[in-house]
Amino acid sequence: MGRAIVITSGKGGVGKTTTTANLGAALAQLGHTVVLVDADIGLRNLDVVMGLENRIVYHVVDAIRGKCAVTKALIKDRRMENLWLLPASQTDDKDAVTPEDMRSLIFELKATYDFVLIDCPAGIEQGFKNAIAGADEAVVVATPEVSSIRDADRVVGLLAAADVPARLVVNRISPHLVKKGDMLSQADVIEILALEMLGAIPLDDQVIATTNKGVPAVLEGKSVAAKEFIRIAKKLAGIEVEARDGVGFFTRLGRALGLSASPA
Amino acid sequence: MESTAAAIEPTVVEPPAAVLKGTARGLEAIVNGTAPLDAIAGAIEKRIDEAPAFFRGSDIRIRVEDGPLATGSLARLEALAVKYELRIVEITAAKKKEIDAIPQPSLAAGSAPSPVGDFDAEGPTQAAAKPLAFPLPAAANAAPAKLAEAEVTELDALVESLPSFDEPTQDAVPLQLAVSPEIELQTVAPGARLVVGPVRSGVILEHTGHVIVFGDVNPGAEVRAEGNIIVLGRLRGTAHAGIGQDVGFILALQLQPQQLRISRQVARAADSDSTALQTEIAYVSGGQIVVERYTGKLPASLATSI
Repeated sequence: MGRAIVITSGKGGVGKTTTTANLGAALAQLGHTVVLVDADIGLRNLDVVMGLENRIVYHVVDAIRGKCAVTKALIKDRRMENLWLLPASQTDDKDAVTPEDMRSLIFELKATYDFVLIDCPAGIEQGFKNAIAGADEAVVVATPEVSSIRDADRVVGLLAAADVPARLVVNRISPHLVKKGDMLSQADVIEILALEMLGAIPLDDQVIATTNKGVPAVLEGKSVAAKEFIRIAKKLAGIEVEARDGVGFFTRLGRALGLSASPA
Repeated sequence: MESTAAAIEPTVVEPPAAVLKGTARGLEAIVNGTAPLDAIAGAIEKRIDEAPAFFRGSDIRIRVEDGPLATGSLARLEALAVKYELRIVEITAAKKKEIDAIPQPSLAAGSAPSPVGDFDAEGPTQAAAKPLAFPLPAAANAAPAKLAEAEVTELDALVESLPSFDEPTQDAVPLQLAVSPEIELQTVAPGARLVVGPVRSGVILEHTGHVIVFGDVNPGAEVRAEGNIIVLGRLRGTAHAGIGQDVGFILALQLQPQQLRISRQVARAADSDSTALQTEIAYVSGGQIVVERYTGKLPASLATSI
């Protein structure tokens, strides 16, 4: 039985979809079978980020309504053998499915695939409830901005109420802005959210460029953000992440930022 | 402190026309709205005449049950108040008991020394009392004893005007939260609620006794207690202690709240960034919230709140 992980944030535009695409690609690179589920019904875009939009025939609502078999609605990635996408419907809205529908769909997918990554819509309404319904765990994405952290805090509370354990990814951190004191550091973020941290993705132009091309940064290789996504994927997969130079990325980043190794 | 509750008209088996009670906040007159005006006035007069000196100069709250009152009642009550040198500070029409409705006393701004406790109709929740069902006579509006309309300000303007507890407190304008007498409890329910934090955004933590949080109270969260609030962590959200009480305090290892409310006082955080690194305690002193470093001793005035 595989694991279902929902990628959520509360606030929109913090990088849920990009994170889903990259973690999915990285987990697939590690040899796992992975399905990405776009739960943002009515505003689908995981397919665009994955560069698979022109292959959509059936979508998640079709699969739930029994219009097609679930396997029929899955789109196999064109670059990787073990990565699939279950796209959202663009014409329905969040009420088209219920949490129970999602729970049984995700359960069915977990039976076949190692990882089911669910891309959650912004907000805490029906779409959010649907997205977390079948999840075993959650990755909360927050950017180092007070508004994002406030929303993430709310979402973590809701996840706890639903018994979904959550871990944190801080996205778009800019080391030089942090150093100047113009940006919250990851320590500040952790201090408020009090969550286990999976990683911090640096602000990276490469991510924007590749995302717009429909290629997850992880598959383009060399960027700092891609390396961090791969690290996070390894952590998710339970692989002990090797500390390069005997010093971990965070310690080094922390040192660069003049922070102590552990958050206050 | 239900000290002097006495029925006035022994001949009437039905609810008496008016009952006077002493409460922690002063005198309270419970008026039976169905009784004739003369009976109401008579009942009040009779009671006050028993000890006119004792009542003189008191604040009085009038609670109308089974109202509304007949037209002209208010002027009559006002005349009575003038006669006995009482100040009518609040008139409410009581609904049925609604203990659960306590949590959100609406905000009302008053500039008079004894603010008129009218209720903000746009308040977050309509508490258990509502404004009188008949218009206030113009004469009463003009009367010094203040039946003047409460200055019900828009909430944001109101919050803007709140005293900030990092500013010199002398200049701050005391602001009162109106509390319905219905929901006023005379004693804190015994017992403390211990909570393991963090208390996250969107969570409202309520308790009738004291609340102790082990961990942080995050921005967007709210802790509400009829007793005191102790946060063994950072208080960054909103806390309201001493709801319905006269005293109460909020203590936190780091006191960086969005807003503090104690009893009927409100204070908001200063707009400037300031980080408190010591344990601080907030309490009401001289009609406003003061914050000071907690040195291991509770201010004497707070002893009764525990």
